[in-house]
Amino acid sequence: MSGIVDFDRFLFAFTIGSHILLVSLSIGMSILICVSEFLLARTKNKYYGGLVRRLVRPFVVSFGIGTASGIVMAVELVNLFPRFMTLVSSTGVIAIFYVEIFAFFIETIFLVIYVYYGNTFKGTYTRWALTVPIMVGTLLSAVLIVMVNAWMNTPNGFDIGAYVASGSSYSVTGVNPWAPFLTTSTGYEVFHVLGSVPLTGVMLIGGFFAYRYLRSPTADEKALFLTGLRLTVALALVLVVMSILAGALEIDGLWQYQPEKYAAIELNPTPGTNLPMTLFGTVVGTSIVGGLQIPGLQGFLEGGKMMPGLSQFSQSTWPPLIIHEAFDVMLIGGALLGLFVFVYGALWLAKRRPFDKPLLAYLFLAFSALTATVMELGWMVDELGRQPWIVYNTLSVADAANNSNALLGPGVVIIIGYSFLVPFTFWFMDRVFRGKPIAVDLTGPAGGEDVNY
Amino acid sequence: MSTINWLFEINFAIFSIFFVLFVSELMGGVLLLVAYDATKAKVLPYLVPIWEVTGTFAAFWVVTGDFAYPSMLWPLANILAGLILVFLILFVLRNASITFAELLLKGGRISEKRLYQLFGLATLGIAVAVLVVLSAVVSGAGVDLANLSFSLWGWVTNPGSLPYLLGVVFIAVGLAPVFYDIAPLRRLSVPFTVAGVAVEAGALYLYSASFLSGYFLIPAVLTVLASVMYQFRATAALVTNKLVFAIVGTVIVFSLSYLVYPTAFGGAIAVDDVTTKGPMVGAFYVLSAVGAVVVGLLMAFYMVTVRHASRTPGVPASAAPVGPAAHNP
Repeated sequence: MSGIVDFDRFLFAFTIGSHILLVSLSIGMSILICVSEFLLARTKNKYYGGLVRRLVRPFVVSFGIGTASGIVMAVELVNLFPRFMTLVSSTGVIAIFYVEIFAFFIETIFLVIYVYYGNTFKGTYTRWALTVPIMVGTLLSAVLIVMVNAWMNTPNGFDIGAYVASGSSYSVTGVNPWAPFLTTSTGYEVFHVLGSVPLTGVMLIGGFFAYRYLRSPTADEKALFLTGLRLTVALALVLVVMSILAGALEIDGLWQYQPEKYAAIELNPTPGTNLPMTLFGTVVGTSIVGGLQIPGLQGFLEGGKMMPGLSQFSQSTWPPLIIHEAFDVMLIGGALLGLFVFVYGALWLAKRRPFDKPLLAYLFLAFSALTATVMELGWMVDELGRQPWIVYNTLSVADAANNSNALLGPGVVIIIGYSFLVPFTFWFMDRVFRGKPIAVDLTGPAGGEDVNY
Repeated sequence: MSTINWLFEINFAIFSIFFVLFVSELMGGVLLLVAYDATKAKVLPYLVPIWEVTGTFAAFWVVTGDFAYPSMLWPLANILAGLILVFLILFVLRNASITFAELLLKGGRISEKRLYQLFGLATLGIAVAVLVVLSAVVSGAGVDLANLSFSLWGWVTNPGSLPYLLGVVFIAVGLAPVFYDIAPLRRLSVPFTVAGVAVEAGALYLYSASFLSGYFLIPAVLTVLASVMYQFRATAALVTNKLVFAIVGTVIVFSLSYLVYPTAFGGAIAVDDVTTKGPMVGAFYVLSAVGAVVVGLLMAFYMVTVRHASRTPGVPASAAPVGPAAHNP
């Protein structure tokens, strides 16, 4: 029944791939709303108020659809990979999901109060204070789900040897319910997600602002988009630095806790101390064919340590080598993105007004799409890099998956539905962002006055 | 001496809150479907903010269920795989339709009315899917535990299934005017509620005579009482208070826990046997205690805000303690 298992894999990959796009946008907007509310309270600048009013509408859309796709994902985990969720629920990993629910409650309740009852809070700092738990809840949700992912990469909190040895009885013993909150890879992954996911959201919004700034017909609209653009660039500068640092730290840890993944990412046929950095190419036997090799660079970056190679592992546990290409594209894309953000930021600091240059606006738009691509590729590298395992060296995807034919029909409907829903959601967010005349958004009352009922 | 299975009780209590919130949405959704213009002023101010909280309680229930019954996940996923995915499709449709309806710009090709009605339709579909799943878990109708499969035909042909569905529809139709205080439908309330309770009792008996125990009197009496109290001016104010209704509704649903405890799937599975054990139990208690405080404080803040909003001069008064009074309709 490997066909069904592959369908389970694809369905989950498709839904999570769509979900993380919406989530990154939600996180980006929650940060921008929070920062704008603070600056509005501090400076009374009407453009921060306008920015908040315009961002809240797409944020509600993103939250509504993101909640649905998040619940789809959570239930799909049970439905598509029930053996995996049985292991999760028998160990402390379910406790992480449980805490995630509280983060979700914090985000939901404060969002409902802020959006629908915002008018009742008169103080500007009070209104800002309401946005802080929304941002924290949104970020915390992402952090907690990444903690689950970290556990999948570096499981702990139960007797793994006994579990594997128990074969098809899947016996879980020696449980420590709190251990999964801190695995070998948790710190690396959490730091990475705190940089890269908000960066994606902020860049997506920034690209939109850069484009709309150029096309704005009025001085007020230009001023509003310029305010937003400055905020996004400032945030992107910080987040790019975080992402670079987090990426470097994670790759440095990866060779220790997931050596097969590391060997596949770096395309190391054999272990060694002074290995080259290989861009693209593939492995045939113990040799690299094609691609570009930079002699000694990998060895230099890793301080001359002994790095793992694919030959150390059975070929049956190698991840798909496409993750090497995905990683290379991600690396190059990330480097270009970092360069662009730094150059843009430098031009701004040098008062060269990069915002007014059409070429830079279009480049910003292109780089915002590239950021999303880089994030999706990063996720692909992480997930495909763990194959054939769903829980590294413990439970395979094939053993965890649901083989029921009943999944096929509804699963196809979900894929088709998402193919329309996600692009429509982005289009709708653009519509509601610009739905009201600028004068209304700059002077109108805060709160959920735009809701139809 | 038997001991209480607190994991079951906590999970079922969360389910009860979720179910009451969901049924309140369902009642609103059905009213929007059949009489949008006449009922929107009463229904939408409640529905628009609360649907996001309902979804959160759904996730809360699912996660505590995963936590409490890990060994049931494999059989449940295999038995109910298709039905669960259908539920997910409808859930996405529900969220998408109400989100787009809330923020739709006037004058477009799609009206907010159509989107709100689509929400009603999706909620109705979810209700059917949820009720099929619940009745299958309670009675085992359509379920083949040996082969881990589910037959919709087997469920339909069980004599208890369709009356069970019909009973819930009658009760929902009977209580909808109470919850949303729709005075013109006042007279429908008692006959529909009484008929619903009677049909539901018959359905449970057809599933298994043991389901119709003395415990059934608690939800039956409270349900009928709500519709009767709505008939009198002096008591109508109490039952149309959404907070009171939600609390009583939670008690009603919680009192039905005997249908799945101590055994589920028509007596085939002993709940205590499939409940998690060992150190995970302690972790469940600790997190549930923390969760009760966090969620309790959040809900209290929410209700205080709504109350404050309804008393703020210049802000339109809400029809309900959980209505979005801060909005300018």
